[in-house]
Amino acid sequence: MTTPTVKIPAGHNCATCPAHNIGNLTKLGINMENWDYVVALAGNPNTGKSTIFNALTGLRQHTGNWPGKTVTRAEGGFEFGSHRYKIVDLPGTYSLLSTSLDEEVARNFILFGQPDVTIIVADATRLERNLNLVLQVLEITDRAVLALNLMDEARRHGITVDERSLARDLGVPVIPTAARSRQGVPELLQAVHDVATGAFVCQPHRIKNEPPALKSAIKALVEQLETAFPGLPNARWVALRLLDGDQRIIEAVKRGELGDLTRDDPGQTNGDLVLQLQEVQHA
Amino acid sequence: MITTNERILSEDVLKHIYKCEKNNRRPTMESIAGVLQIKQDEASTLVSKMAAHNLLTLQGDEFHLTEAGQDYALQVIRAHRLWERYLADETGFDEAQWHVQAEQHEHHLTPDEVEALAARLGYPTHDPHGDPIPSASGQYVPHGGQPLTALEPGQYARIVHIEDEPPIVYAQLVAEGLYPDTELRLKEISTERVRFLVGDTEHRLAPIVARNISVLPLSPEEVTEQTNTERLSNLKIGETAQVVRLSPACRGPERRRFMDLGILPGTVITAEMVSPSGDPTAYLIRRSLIGLRKEQADQIHITRDVVKQ
Amino acid sequence: MLNTGQMNPPENALPNAAQNILDTANQLRWDVGGSAHEKIVEAIYTDAARIADRAVTYPNTPPRFNLDRTIDRLVTSRIWGFPLMILLFTFVFWFTIIGANYPSSFLAWLLLDNVHPLLKEGSAAIGLPWWLDGLLIDGMYLATAWVIAVMLPPMAIFFPLFTLLEDFGYLPRVAFNLDNIFKKSGAHGKQSLSMMMGFGCNAAGVVATRVIDSPRERLIAIITNNFALCNGRWPTQILIATLFIGALVPAYLGGIISALAVVGIAMLGVLLSFVVSWALSRTWLKGEASTFSLELPPYRPPRFWQTVYTSLIDRTIYVLWRAIVFALPAGVVIWLISNVMIGDASIAEHLVNFLNPIGWLLGLNGVILLAYVVAIPANEIVIPTVLMLTVMVTGASQYGAGSGVMFETGSQETMALFHAGGWTLLTAVNLMLFSLLHNPCSTTIYTIYKETGSKRWTTVAALLPLAMGFVVTFVVAQVWRLFAMMG
Repeated sequence: MTTPTVKIPAGHNCATCPAHNIGNLTKLGINMENWDYVVALAGNPNTGKSTIFNALTGLRQHTGNWPGKTVTRAEGGFEFGSHRYKIVDLPGTYSLLSTSLDEEVARNFILFGQPDVTIIVADATRLERNLNLVLQVLEITDRAVLALNLMDEARRHGITVDERSLARDLGVPVIPTAARSRQGVPELLQAVHDVATGAFVCQPHRIKNEPPALKSAIKALVEQLETAFPGLPNARWVALRLLDGDQRIIEAVKRGELGDLTRDDPGQTNGDLVLQLQEVQHA
Repeated sequence: MITTNERILSEDVLKHIYKCEKNNRRPTMESIAGVLQIKQDEASTLVSKMAAHNLLTLQGDEFHLTEAGQDYALQVIRAHRLWERYLADETGFDEAQWHVQAEQHEHHLTPDEVEALAARLGYPTHDPHGDPIPSASGQYVPHGGQPLTALEPGQYARIVHIEDEPPIVYAQLVAEGLYPDTELRLKEISTERVRFLVGDTEHRLAPIVARNISVLPLSPEEVTEQTNTERLSNLKIGETAQVVRLSPACRGPERRRFMDLGILPGTVITAEMVSPSGDPTAYLIRRSLIGLRKEQADQIHITRDVVKQ
Repeated sequence: MLNTGQMNPPENALPNAAQNILDTANQLRWDVGGSAHEKIVEAIYTDAARIADRAVTYPNTPPRFNLDRTIDRLVTSRIWGFPLMILLFTFVFWFTIIGANYPSSFLAWLLLDNVHPLLKEGSAAIGLPWWLDGLLIDGMYLATAWVIAVMLPPMAIFFPLFTLLEDFGYLPRVAFNLDNIFKKSGAHGKQSLSMMMGFGCNAAGVVATRVIDSPRERLIAIITNNFALCNGRWPTQILIATLFIGALVPAYLGGIISALAVVGIAMLGVLLSFVVSWALSRTWLKGEASTFSLELPPYRPPRFWQTVYTSLIDRTIYVLWRAIVFALPAGVVIWLISNVMIGDASIAEHLVNFLNPIGWLLGLNGVILLAYVVAIPANEIVIPTVLMLTVMVTGASQYGAGSGVMFETGSQETMALFHAGGWTLLTAVNLMLFSLLHNPCSTTIYTIYKETGSKRWTTVAALLPLAMGFVVTFVVAQVWRLFAMMG
């Protein structure tokens, strides 16, 4: 077992630093040409994902207080600390392992779209169930930030979450937020900035307790994958998906696309994927 | 020239001979005519035509599949089992219809369609009855089970396959709630009946019916099935229990949904409240309140023995 | 030729390493077995539970007073659950009807009674040719204005109220309470919500079915949403019931009887949506996958003003979009068929004559059928179109403002006009039935297509209620006439 050494960026709670001033946030709405970084927004339904999207972009999507709500726009933009960000709102899902279209689109975006940062929004009052998705996202990408949302609700119910312990276990920055009242949004922006620019290097948690038969199968596949595609950051996830017969991943192996995922400088977001996202959200 | 009808019939002949060879039975002209429900002279014309196409060899009254015939038979079986799997996982048809519909579709899927179906389903290895699905190149690993009737009383076993033919026998097994992956313990076996336990429920079957269940014997250490299990629907408001397993009968999107909600072996569930119309019931699962209908709660096996907290 | 069934080996172009990986995966899939997926999920949840355990502290003693559960016990209580629900929704509907009255009258006064004449004067002043004036002002402007005046106020009140209930977390409890009834007709409890939204607007109701995550139940909810009598159809029902049904009883009972007749039609719609749901789930939709889950989220205080504001803006934009995209072309068509002459009569008159025999069979008339054909885009303009066409075919030119100009008038004049058009009680009853049972408006059809992405299901959703409308009105007309003959 590796112990990820994670340092929370210093001064995270320092509201006086200029970098943490929300005044540095320029909401760009749907106006997002020439972005520097792509941010994906993932999370369970009903965790306030859209509130965070709206807070960052200045757009307003109304969504109801239950899963499977109405989403009208998948993309928006904002500017923070002299960088322009494009933010892509992924469908709200409980998991990334199923065959449902929503989940397929979300996991393909995180894998092939190679966002510079993935913000995972989790409900602080129901952390255990939310961590299911968080851990799956961390299998795919090593550039993520956890927004621990609905902290106001958690406080109201007398629940406390030790975000430092969580950050240590997950290996990514954890930012408590209450997006409805904008608490934590400046800190979230700073964390996104740090991960995007490489100022903070994540060491994401990876699942270790699979049953033996599965473990050895994964091991065998990972070895082959790493020989064929050296530097592949998520060989374990690719192996898992291959065992699950994921069509898209099999295609990617055939076409050698996996080789592209090993590049250090991620390319621009794949236009097809964004289009797919919008189709899912409209259909 | 071969008509579509003849193609369908000859595919059924190939399947029949293939299954006979697998089960060490001898296919005859009568058995072919019987399975296809055609006259014997029609059957023999068909068989000679197939021999002319090098799908089988005729030696006196014995048939054997050629390599090409065997490959072809495997492809038809592959299409059949994939289609059953598709019906089970992605549609709402009930199990009695899976086999019937697959019998039709196996003849009408092109190799490309079969391949696309396999890809869409994530290259499954088994059909819903536990039969292995041959790969595109015709390879598969047999389930390796033995008939339930070959067990000794007192022995534990896991069901690996339920034969779906003849339909009447299959319907009875479905009605008993028996599925692949179910664990059982044999209690008694005689010429009249076979008696076994699944959890706390006792099943009695005629030996001829029980023979259609294939099982793998388990050593006592391998047994995960616990006694004292009951259905989640038995839980009264305010009571708490722990999930033992999801019923093998619960599959496809429903099973995935349960897992997404965190309903897994070991999950602690409390019944919170009932709808004023009597159903559904809301359960507290991993701090979320989830409404489940009674039929769904029936699919979740629980125990009250080991509730923590 | 017999296909030997042998698959072509994959192209050799595939690099060896890639092929090896896929072969290994295929091989290993047999080793890990079909339950690999499940084992992964279990492994993930085990880690999740461990991490959550370490990070989260719950209050030592459970709070004495759990607000959420207390509200839940009340709103799902055996005794109070249903009465509370009925009370709440009665209030929502009552508030919508009462609240919409004033802004609707105001908009009608402004857009129809004042701006329209002003526009006419303006066009006369600048000497616009009569046909351009008619097409633009009587056709396009009037249809658009009509839809806005009738539809905007109730939509702008009804939907924000619903959104507030939704944000608070109450609506899932409604689905929870009603699920058993919907289950019996093969539907999902959440259909109760899309149905209620359908009373506001069917297109919005169809969009609301998104909360139903099971494919079969969602299709059922989409196809049957049209049976919820939408806001655009209430005025027709109320007008006809007041004039014909209310007139059957002494004046002091007229109000209550006509109101009961309208509610009766709405209830018939609800009943039919159960019947059709039941039939669909057992026939066409039998093979669609079906799952159920209903999460009851924690209650959260809604952000009142923000919700009202967002919802209001959304609805206004939506109504304007619908008025311009769908009603405006309808206005053009209505004006054109009324003013383009073939021989000695307008296209509309020819069409009415052609439709009259069919209308008679259904206990309706050619005018009504034509009005429903040209008013597909919006139910709101059916009555004004019926009145205009009746003036045209009866030559009762003391009413209205000319060919192709939709209008509404006082109840006595309307009644006189209907009598001139040969309307009977049967016409009225069947018009009420047909207003409930006909194809959805084109906005709804378009929305159904957008939501299902299927031409097949869109066609079913459009034609099924229409066919039912034909059958029901036909049967009612024949039985009615039979009794009339015997009586």
